[in-house]
Amino acid sequence: MNLKDAVRHRLRGHAGNEDVNLTAVMNIFLILIPFLLLTASFVRLAVLEMTLPDLERAGRQSSILTGRVVVNVLFIRENSIQLKSPEISLAAVPKVAEYDWEALRSQLEQVKFKYPESMDVIITPESTIRYEIIIAVMDICRDAGFPNLSISG
Amino acid sequence: MILNSEDSLINIVNRNRRNRRGMAVLQLTSMIDMFTILLVFLLKSFSAEGQIMTITRDLRLPESTSRDVPRSMSVISVTSEWILVDGRSVVNLSAITTDSPLMINGLKEELERLRLLSEQIGNLSTNLQGFRGSIAIQGDRDIPFDILKRIMFTCGQVGYNNINLAVLEKE
Repeated sequence: MNLKDAVRHRLRGHAGNEDVNLTAVMNIFLILIPFLLLTASFVRLAVLEMTLPDLERAGRQSSILTGRVVVNVLFIRENSIQLKSPEISLAAVPKVAEYDWEALRSQLEQVKFKYPESMDVIITPESTIRYEIIIAVMDICRDAGFPNLSISG
Repeated sequence: MILNSEDSLINIVNRNRRNRRGMAVLQLTSMIDMFTILLVFLLKSFSAEGQIMTITRDLRLPESTSRDVPRSMSVISVTSEWILVDGRSVVNLSAITTDSPLMINGLKEELERLRLLSEQIGNLSTNLQGFRGSIAIQGDRDIPFDILKRIMFTCGQVGYNNINLAVLEKE
């Protein structure tokens, strides 16, 4: 093989005449993709944890209450949301077409600013309030830094 | 067919044979691209523990920003018509009116049965989980608070104090 032939041979090789053997890759894909498609879950469930007060806990809570922990109460009504916190006067957030979540959020932040250790909000919905609304309110409370939520009737 | 001097019969046969030997190459590039993207996406959403809680049919769970993963526990499902405990219908919602008492009797009996069962399981061996007082509620997003209040009250009376509200993860 002289030099001219060798150069031509290498050039031809680089020109893409040789193919990658894809059989193994295709085999892996054909097995993995159906398997993963079958096991895939496209909706992800989560939970909101909530604890009802029981007798032992009630005793403990009242001893905590003698300290400086503040409990805030949040009323959800058909046409407004009213947040009540000791020594802060907050206007009821009216519902126009939709509840005003931003106003509620800023009120909760106001309370959090005044009582940074306060963790509890008691949510008191009217009996006609939809479940979805309660969950949305609980989300906003958790975002604003009140993880201890309870619901009272 | 007009044959010129180079297209002898032998040449034509040779050409046909070459084609028949499959020299045509499949263009797999775009398919491999697609498969790779699909594979990465599916591997990302793959979870080894699988689905612990199944979602009851004709029920639209509310969405929430919560990221707490559910653990395995009994589930009370509240659709727009029925209250189900672990998939079995227990009480029809039409039986609950605003002036009926807070306690839902059918639900209470079912929960008491469940509690007894889990306590007995717990007594069998220390390895088994007994009664822990936690229960999950899967509620349709349109059920009124009145229904929810009664269910929660009933759970609390039976001893299920740790209530988990099931929600869908918001994107």
